[in-house]
Amino acid sequence: MGAFGHYLTGHFATLRLEFWALFVGGLANGVLYGMVAVGYTLVYGVLRLINFAHSEIFMSGGFAGYFVMKSMVGNAVPSGIASVGLIVLGIIVGGVVGAVMATLVERVAYRPLRRRRAPALAYLISAIGASYFLYNMAGKEFGRVPISMPQPYINHPIFHIFGAPVQMYYVIILLAGAVMFLTLDRIVAKTKLGRSIRAVAQDAETASLMGVNIDRTIVLTFIVGGALGGAAGFLFGMGTGVSNTMGFVPALKAFTAAVLGGIGNLRGAMIGGFLLGVVESLSVVFVQAAYMDVVAFGILVAVLLFRPTGILGERLGRSA
Amino acid sequence: MKRVFANAHVKRLFSAIAAMAVLELMTGPPGSALSPTAGFTGSFGEASSFFGLFRTQRWVVFLFIALVMFAIWTTWLTWGEQVRTATSKAMSVPRAATHTRPVRWGMVLVLLVVALLLPRLITDPFWQAAMVEQIAVYVLLALGLNVVVGFAGLLDLGFVAFYAIGAYTTAWVTGALPTAAPFGIHFNNFYAIPIAIALAMGAGIILGAPTLRLRGDYLAIVTLGFGEIITIFANNLYGITGGSQGTNTIPHFSLHVGPIKYLWGLTPVPYYYLTIVFVILFLIGFKLLEHSRVGRAWTAIREDEVAAESVGINPLKYKVMAFAIGASTAGFAGVVTASQSNTIFPSSFTLQFSINILVLVIFGGMGSITGVVLGAIVIQTGSMFLLHSPPAGYQPQDLYIYLGALLVVMMIFRPAGLVPSRRRHREIGLAEKGEGHMNEVLTGDTP
Amino acid sequence: MSDKIFDVDHVTLRFGGVVSLNDVTLHQERGEILAVIGPNGAGKTSLFNSLTGVYQPQEGTITFMGKDAKPMNVIGKKPHRVSAAGVARTFQASRMFSALTAFENIKIGAESHRGIGVVGAMLRGPATRRDEKLSDERTVELLDFVGLRAKANVISSSLSYGDRRRLEIARGLATGPQVLLLDEPAAGTNPSEKLELTTLIRKVRDEMGVSILLIEHDMKLVMSLAERLYVLNFGSVIAQGTPEEIRANDQVIEAYLGSTATETGDRS
Repeated sequence: MGAFGHYLTGHFATLRLEFWALFVGGLANGVLYGMVAVGYTLVYGVLRLINFAHSEIFMSGGFAGYFVMKSMVGNAVPSGIASVGLIVLGIIVGGVVGAVMATLVERVAYRPLRRRRAPALAYLISAIGASYFLYNMAGKEFGRVPISMPQPYINHPIFHIFGAPVQMYYVIILLAGAVMFLTLDRIVAKTKLGRSIRAVAQDAETASLMGVNIDRTIVLTFIVGGALGGAAGFLFGMGTGVSNTMGFVPALKAFTAAVLGGIGNLRGAMIGGFLLGVVESLSVVFVQAAYMDVVAFGILVAVLLFRPTGILGERLGRSA
Repeated sequence: MKRVFANAHVKRLFSAIAAMAVLELMTGPPGSALSPTAGFTGSFGEASSFFGLFRTQRWVVFLFIALVMFAIWTTWLTWGEQVRTATSKAMSVPRAATHTRPVRWGMVLVLLVVALLLPRLITDPFWQAAMVEQIAVYVLLALGLNVVVGFAGLLDLGFVAFYAIGAYTTAWVTGALPTAAPFGIHFNNFYAIPIAIALAMGAGIILGAPTLRLRGDYLAIVTLGFGEIITIFANNLYGITGGSQGTNTIPHFSLHVGPIKYLWGLTPVPYYYLTIVFVILFLIGFKLLEHSRVGRAWTAIREDEVAAESVGINPLKYKVMAFAIGASTAGFAGVVTASQSNTIFPSSFTLQFSINILVLVIFGGMGSITGVVLGAIVIQTGSMFLLHSPPAGYQPQDLYIYLGALLVVMMIFRPAGLVPSRRRHREIGLAEKGEGHMNEVLTGDTP
Repeated sequence: MSDKIFDVDHVTLRFGGVVSLNDVTLHQERGEILAVIGPNGAGKTSLFNSLTGVYQPQEGTITFMGKDAKPMNVIGKKPHRVSAAGVARTFQASRMFSALTAFENIKIGAESHRGIGVVGAMLRGPATRRDEKLSDERTVELLDFVGLRAKANVISSSLSYGDRRRLEIARGLATGPQVLLLDEPAAGTNPSEKLELTTLIRKVRDEMGVSILLIEHDMKLVMSLAERLYVLNFGSVIAQGTPEEIRANDQVIEAYLGSTATETGDRS
């Protein structure tokens, strides 16, 4: 007991020292998880189905961003202002490619099954197949080793909170995330698209009788989710490089975030993302880095077992 | 533009061309991060022989195939129904014949003889090894996963975890791991079988009991995570598992009963016979299981969980059981592989492996034992063939592209698989007509 | 001293803010054909789901007294446990195992309460074979009993509505129940099937000694079949009595007056 107590005090001391640095890093990661989680949650909301291929949509955004950066930057070091422009461009390209990929996945792997009213197991298998196909296809076309992205001006601490440096990279992610979340939240709450998404989520049959075009709404949810996922893929790739395996772990965590917040619930996905990012980041003090993924998985299992409806509860229709 | 695409013919033509373009990429040369477009330009632009007639570029060949496909597809839509009824009429006599008992037993006997004679017919060392490591063992694994996916309708993406447990148990029991063997005794591999089965089953129950209450898609994610975690542990617990190097000192199977002494392992053939015996035992066991009370209960749960509960079936118990049976089969296969190869290391226990087994089950036909065995043989032989004599531009990793695509294609065109299980076939048909409660069962949306 | 098979005592069931059953107290005598009627949304199916362990009411007790067994509080028990204790049911829109034959449907009911025995099943020893034979015999008996012997090998989803209802009753009976809960058994059936069904239900009680609890919209069927009725409205019991008493009850007439339409157009 004494030894364990000592162990804990030691670790808490470390935690106190590094809390803010870890917190900021975790928050930035959390924003990325949240952006990906939104994709899971939106698709789940309208189709009652987990889009297994979402990790590859994330990856496609990463690669798209990488190619833009490579062609624009090369080996040069851009100025601060130019960097901001490049990153915005990367986000847009990543988002567009993510949206295109998501649409293709919907078109090829899901829609034919929906037409036949296939059982849910068939969707799952088709989704896994699509995910696996894209994952290995990317490996074939772009190699199977991680590639680091040309780094614009991002590793520079721009200010400090409580003594912890906040890098430009984090600021970018936080800002981009905030803009996208707010826009999305408004879109779902206020626009016609948002209304039709919520209507389909609540009751597809009635929505279709009321004149909502179900196919179109489903494609649009894939586009919106894919755009956020692709943009997140670019931002993530900027920090850790891109590879065909880059989507797997972040997507599993984003899925955890979506469940944590209550799958099908938009705000839940964002909050779940923040929460998971921060908890995971702080847990580095207590757990060896190699077991970090185990922590996220442990959270997933715990949430599924003890509160499967998540923090904010399920259903896109009700609480978005 | 929109109107043009609304035309069914244009749609079909477009789909055929798109599908062929994807196939072109799949079979084309690889690219790399340094030249990311090389794969694309090569896939379409590389020189190729037009069916041996003249030299041209790849895209011409594939466009031609796409047009032929479109033609066949269109013809099929007009004449397909007649062809189908004609063939089913023509096949009805032989099909009825295969349903009689003597014919069935005769077929089983022939297959058995072929299986036993196979090592004499195929003497190429590559294929002899492949028959054990890549085919017989995979048939066993597919049979196990079929209990989970096919019989109980549960998607397990962490099947590899139980396989790894079996393999590591073998290493542990025979004293090949850094950690001490049980009681300090280095047991014979045969003793590893019950221990590995028990441990894998235990792991299946521990993972399954809490998570099998969840909806099907959650289960898939949780098992996927579990598979990853087992690999993380195997990689990092150096003192116990040997870390990423694993171990390469696992002994072969050996038999010392009185005067009989036998050591497996000098050539693949004895292992082949050993594995075939195991496969046949599992095959018979699962076949009987399918047509037992347990198999019927699984069907009932798969079709309508609420109704099944109302007649007294405890769904959780049966699901956990299916999960445990699948897990123990994988654990058993782990013993066979570890003993046969003497070597285990964490990087061989990946998600790829789980998906590979899933493909065998899906391709063969969920819930159909004949189908799954056939599916495993066909796919594994095919992938070994690609490995043995690869076509130009093929890399070993490309196999997984094909497997991924195959999953999607099967779900779109033949969800019940190559040799559909009769029950499954009906269920899918009924679900598509909007009858039955398949969708509710799998998503757990009980009204 | 009456011999109650079901004793429902002050049961309240809520979903979020919606009260589905409000302080319901009722009971069923052993061997009785009891009916619960009421307009749509009165809580009839909720009552059934509470009696079979599908829903868990927040307040009250539901006591089931099986023959020669200790009384059991149904609340908190899983549906399969309730079934094992001797409660069988059918569903409003009948829920068959639609890809299985009539025979297999009944057999699943007949064998569900024998232990699981995976090893036995995989080895198919003499004990397993004996079990199978017993279940087969029981299944054939029940097929005869409900008059579906000729359709034993028909896939259940291709049976007619009336046949499906009878099959569902046989599947319930196969579990060896003391009481059979029928949720709108006559919905979707034609007049002649209705008549056959009435005869069958009475036969279940008379020949098998199984008590019957019935929800039904078809008043003619209820009045001719039930020995006693409860009337539910907005989740509360508003009346009880013999068919004659209910017919004369003002409150019941009032509850139904506003919903005459639902009475004639069946299904809720």
